[in-house]
Amino acid sequence: MSLIRTANVCKSFGELTVLKDINMSVEQGEVVCIIGPSGAGKSTFLRSLNQLEKITSGKIFIDEELFLHRENGSTVLRLEQIKYKQLLLEMGMVFQSFNLFPHKTVMENIMLAPVHVKKQSKAEAEKKAGELLAKVGLADKSDEYPARLSGGQQQRVAIARALAMEPKIMLFDEPTSALDPELVGEVLGVMKSLAESGMTMLVVTHEMGFAREVADRVIFMCDGVIAEQGPPEKLFSKPENPRTRQFLNSIL
Amino acid sequence: MSKIKGLTKLPAKYIPLAVAMAVIIALLAVLAITKPPAQNVKGQISPALKEAAGTKYSETYYNYICFNAVRGKDLKTAQEETYVGFVGNIFAVPDKSPIAPVVDIFFWLPALIRGSGITISLSIVSVLAGVFASVFLALGKISKVKLLNKTCSAYIFFFRGTPLMMQLYFVYYALPQIHPALTINNKFLAAFLAFALNSAAYCAEIIRAAIQSIDKGQFEASKALGLSYGQTMQLVIIPQSIRRLIPPVANEFIMVLKDASLVSIIALSDLTHTTRSISSSSSSALVYIPAMIIYLIITAFFTFVFNKLEKRFSIYQ
Repeated sequence: MSLIRTANVCKSFGELTVLKDINMSVEQGEVVCIIGPSGAGKSTFLRSLNQLEKITSGKIFIDEELFLHRENGSTVLRLEQIKYKQLLLEMGMVFQSFNLFPHKTVMENIMLAPVHVKKQSKAEAEKKAGELLAKVGLADKSDEYPARLSGGQQQRVAIARALAMEPKIMLFDEPTSALDPELVGEVLGVMKSLAESGMTMLVVTHEMGFAREVADRVIFMCDGVIAEQGPPEKLFSKPENPRTRQFLNSIL
Repeated sequence: MSKIKGLTKLPAKYIPLAVAMAVIIALLAVLAITKPPAQNVKGQISPALKEAAGTKYSETYYNYICFNAVRGKDLKTAQEETYVGFVGNIFAVPDKSPIAPVVDIFFWLPALIRGSGITISLSIVSVLAGVFASVFLALGKISKVKLLNKTCSAYIFFFRGTPLMMQLYFVYYALPQIHPALTINNKFLAAFLAFALNSAAYCAEIIRAAIQSIDKGQFEASKALGLSYGQTMQLVIIPQSIRRLIPPVANEFIMVLKDASLVSIIALSDLTHTTRSISSSSSSALVYIPAMIIYLIITAFFTFVFNKLEKRFSIYQ
């Protein structure tokens, strides 16, 4: 069963077309990495899944239910608010720049959405947040403000914050691109253990090592289209598309 | 826990201030309990005046912590006399004495202090009401609802585009002529209304700028977590803008404090109006000196308060 499926997703900023007819799906428990040169539309595609970008046309299915249908820049299908929010919250998002709330402590950052959106009790949310912090290895940082943490620690908190809403699929938008090289490992470690625990993940990344090791499937995007996709061992060792070959040669 | 950490840092900075205040208080206390030698006494208040002091015969009689000032007519000779008393000793001050203008301050001070009370309370309530109203104006101005957006923009345009003095005249003199029900007899209330309406327009721009200066990633993270627009504003954006708001709001407050001198035109006895009355009735324009010093003290005090507030809200950075 596919958790996310897109049909003919297109996106343009005026004259500039960023996404051309993207058809793809992510199955339950699958880890999919999207790679490609900058400007390929990887981030835009990921962000348009959870409505941070408005697609121009196409359909997005979440959990086999039609979540969004737009044609020529206007929404065809309008879900009622409760259903919309429920489907939206099946996706958790981790950003390149962490986007933690700087005025809240680590614990408050994680508890905010469960308490105010899911209406959990504070005690319940705090217990859950404590477990998640332990899972990302930051149990001792719960009363710190984000500014006192390193980039890697902040990103791990951001992962815990997204997990607190109990999403079915996690979207990662270049989660390690803003980190100092020595901090990349700790974040990838957390993501790897998350993948091993069976979480469905869609990761836009430049970490080829991570994609090769953890991903079930790698998608190569280029100029707004999916140029090639397949299991990492095949895509990395015997790429079929010349564009993929050129990209891999330039970075490896 | 971290909030308390932020607080424990404060006392260290207060030490010089506390020491200075303790020294002043100790000096005053020492002066109050030890009487100076008798040869320092320049003159003694006449018994008749002493009797008259505080009764209807005396024009003015003031008693400060360790300072008395008496001005009145000697009941027997009908001669005007000024005496000042310091830590229990009383000095006659002849009119031609070089220190006479300085002594005058002690007769002006009570009226000036009452006037500053009006100035300070008017500024505080106006800016508080203005900031409260301006949050809604600012949200209206960044709203995508056209009607709301245009209304708020028009309000801000009007109140920033016309002189405050005219707005004050308008509220006090023109509103009653538009409709008798709009008459505001209480001068303080009229001044408050004009100042709050004006301040709201200025603060709205401050708040709009502060909200729009928050990183858009904060909006995105809130959206991805399922927070509504209202929750995003209330829980994420506005709390973060407060620290950025404090310096410009402090500036606005100081401006209002000084603009409050405009209320003279509707004869509300604020500090400026009182000073002018004293100046014209006593024919001594020197009263402007203590009045300006009082303005400086008030401004310095509020600058200090706003600085502390800003530090208080910076603990997470």
